Amino acid sequence: MRSIVGEIVNSSDGVTVMDMEASIEHLSRGTLRYVDALLVVLEPYYRSMETAGRTVPLARGLGIERIYGVANKLRSPEDAEAVEAYCRNHDLELIARIPFDENVVEADRVGRAVIDYDAASPIVEELSRAADFLLREVRVGGNGAGRN
Amino acid sequence: MKIAISGKGGSGKTTISATLTRLIARRGLSVLAIDGDPNPNLIQALGLGPGVEAEAVPRSVVERREDEAGKTRHVLTSSVSEIVGRYGLKAPDGVTVLVGTKVDHAGAG
Repeated sequence: MRSIVGEIVNSSDGVTVMDMEASIEHLSRGTLRYVDALLVVLEPYYRSMETAGRTVPLARGLGIERIYGVANKLRSPEDAEAVEAYCRNHDLELIARIPFDENVVEADRVGRAVIDYDAASPIVEELSRAADFLLREVRVGGNGAGRN
Repeated sequence: MKIAISGKGGSGKTTISATLTRLIARRGLSVLAIDGDPNPNLIQALGLGPGVEAEAVPRSVVERREDEAGKTRHVLTSSVSEIVGRYGLKAPDGVTVLVGTKVDHAGAG
């Protein structure tokens, strides 16, 4: 099944965004060999960062050059600092610092996308910057250059 | 450009994937979102209502072939546009979403 996703990603021309399986043992060549950038979501908790700590070397071993951190559910400056320290120590560029966003919970409760629930939500604003970054840094300079 | 998003279950990975997808689409690009999670809910996070389901892309779209060196390769048996046309769902902002996995891992390969 992983190779199905990998082959579709490989063969499609436009932008593809892949929501990966949670368990890192499924980070296989089949799915990831064509990926231009891997985003690793980090919550400011030990176990979340520990998972990332195993994901990043694995992904680097698969030859993915662009690996970025996305910090999520930050509730305090201390949370932000914990994730930033982790990223500094692991040579991981942090491209989004998303605060804990009540709108995510509310949007889910009413069955809507958070961007439709409130486009001014902090998560939307922060990911908007991340989208610009990716289009500038990866789309232009990535393996997919010229192919979208 | 091909982006993969990973993270622990409950980290907000799917919400982040969906929101980023919509935002890239709003910048005028054609975006294919792929749900590679065994418990798919990317469809809802993209803004398709509760209860909307996609038929998962079946294993049969990929075939194993051996090359001259005896190495096994996976090749698609139909084009991406055919696969997208058959199994893809249209989401807001012109996004297309495919559900790539709905398998028990015992048999996954």
